Amino acid sequence: MPLLETVDLSKSFGGLRAISNLNINIEAGSIHGLIGPNGSGKSTFFNLVTGVYQPDPGSKIIFNGHDITKSASHDIGALGIARTFQLLRLFSEMTVLQNLMVGYHTHVPYGFMSTIFNNSAVVKKDAETKSEMMELLELIGMADYADMPASELSGGQRRLVALGRAMAMRPKLLMLDEPAAGLSPVNVDNLLSIVMALKQRFGLTVLIVEHILKVVMETCDTVTVLDYGEKIGEGSPDAVKDDHAVIEAYLGQEMDDDEVRKAFNS
Amino acid sequence: MTAIYSIFGRISETIEKLAAIHRLLPWILAFALLLPLPQILSALFNDYYIYLANKICIFILLSVGLNIVKGFCGQVTVGHVGLYAIGAVSSALISLHFGWSFWLAFPIGILAAGLAGIVVGLPSVRLEGAYLALATLGLGESVRIMIAVTPLFGSSTGLLSIPAPTIGSFTFDSYTNYYYLVLAAAMIGIYLSFSILRSATGRAFMAVREDTVAAAVHGVNVTKYKLLAFVISALYAGAAGGLFAHMPPGYIHHNNFTIIEMVTLLLMIVLGGIGHIWGGIIGAIIVTIIYDQTLEFYFYQPLLFGLTMVLIVIFMPRGIGGMIDRYLATKKFIASQEEKSNAAS
Repeated sequence: MPLLETVDLSKSFGGLRAISNLNINIEAGSIHGLIGPNGSGKSTFFNLVTGVYQPDPGSKIIFNGHDITKSASHDIGALGIARTFQLLRLFSEMTVLQNLMVGYHTHVPYGFMSTIFNNSAVVKKDAETKSEMMELLELIGMADYADMPASELSGGQRRLVALGRAMAMRPKLLMLDEPAAGLSPVNVDNLLSIVMALKQRFGLTVLIVEHILKVVMETCDTVTVLDYGEKIGEGSPDAVKDDHAVIEAYLGQEMDDDEVRKAFNS
Repeated sequence: MTAIYSIFGRISETIEKLAAIHRLLPWILAFALLLPLPQILSALFNDYYIYLANKICIFILLSVGLNIVKGFCGQVTVGHVGLYAIGAVSSALISLHFGWSFWLAFPIGILAAGLAGIVVGLPSVRLEGAYLALATLGLGESVRIMIAVTPLFGSSTGLLSIPAPTIGSFTFDSYTNYYYLVLAAAMIGIYLSFSILRSATGRAFMAVREDTVAAAVHGVNVTKYKLLAFVISALYAGAAGGLFAHMPPGYIHHNNFTIIEMVTLLLMIVLGGIGHIWGGIIGAIIVTIIYDQTLEFYFYQPLLFGLTMVLIVIFMPRGIGGMIDRYLATKKFIASQEEKSNAAS
């Protein structure tokens, strides 16, 4: 049974169909890539799954046996879907550690009333959470910056914090929206090795949107290609690589095999 | 400048040390230290300053509450003073008309303000920024106008001779006596705000302020926390209002709840530090004193305060609290890095 399943997923903005009748199955434990040109509906797909947008009637999204089509974002997060944003959307005035602790929000073991009536327990629980989050920061190599406001970090560090904040949710499914955008090749490799390490350690399923094809080709088990909101190809990276519809949509023109190889490996 | 910073650093270190022994210890000590303040003030200056101390405590409650909704949760509300008015008028009316004691009227006033807080908070579900400010401004002003035109609420004469609270034979009927009550209330208010804001609730508030979409995706129920922030701040405003109404000489008038008071309140949290846990407290102390000491320039006060606010927003956007924090954090970071490089070499 797939971990995430969408059935006839559609979303229109006025007359524009951003996603139409999309059926995607993401198998538990896999790394699933989602590629496509700009405006092909990748980010919309993310927003639909995480409840930021409401899908059109007739759509269905099933996660881990739960129908989450009409669920609110915070309930979807509590079920175990974490995501990063293309533009990160960090809580920039908060410290790195606080960012992660917000990610942990759904697992906080006390309610609002105990902050008033049983504050010593709250302080104790928070200290435990803090050390747990420090371990996570250690894993992503950001422990030194725990008390820095997120706004004062560099671009690469901010991407790591966004990843850490998503991981603080202890998700089953981690959705990464262009995690390597704007990173230098060395940083891309570093980020990928961190993602792989986290996947191993926490038994994650990963859905990754990426424009750097090398990333997708090297890491993914399955790749889905979108164009104009429709699925135009799916399969293993190698199969997708040879699909001429994919090449035309993504790279813009029909190319011979050598050119294709060059494009995918650069 | 660094001397001032390091004083604050030392104070916060001492507080942490005391809290490590027992977490209520710093609070009890602070309360004990502040208790003889009226006697000190009347010995050093004159009795007028005891009144000022009362006022500061009430404004601390107000601005701490406003800082929760505005500073921490990021909801631009200009209706806070209306909630303050609701707390004051309901508590005063209950004790005037039903003859109930302060200890009953006061909590009812707080609850009334809390309920009104839900109403003020509801627009925040749909509106943001300046639009929310306009909506809440309308609500706040309509409360004041309602008081001004309704004879039952005092209209233009105000509500007179609101009874002072009593415990047994002890009456809080002088500024010195009343100070013990407002000091206790302010300390409890500050303590509760610290408890709330340093927990997951406070972090959820900040997450809502920073980015509602990201907060929701990470499991924070944005609507719930927005309303919660409004209700908590309304409870603070209600408490401040009730204490203000029963303060000797027991007189309230709708002129106490104008938009000018609201601007003063905003200046308090902007100066003290928006979204800083000490912001409302520092701001309330400084602004109340300055406001009071410049009363002879009454006509220029709004201009002065408006200008100050603009300058602070430009040059010191995180207020006094933010500046101190930043200095201490940078110092700590530099120290830890130096330690690391020393260990490496």
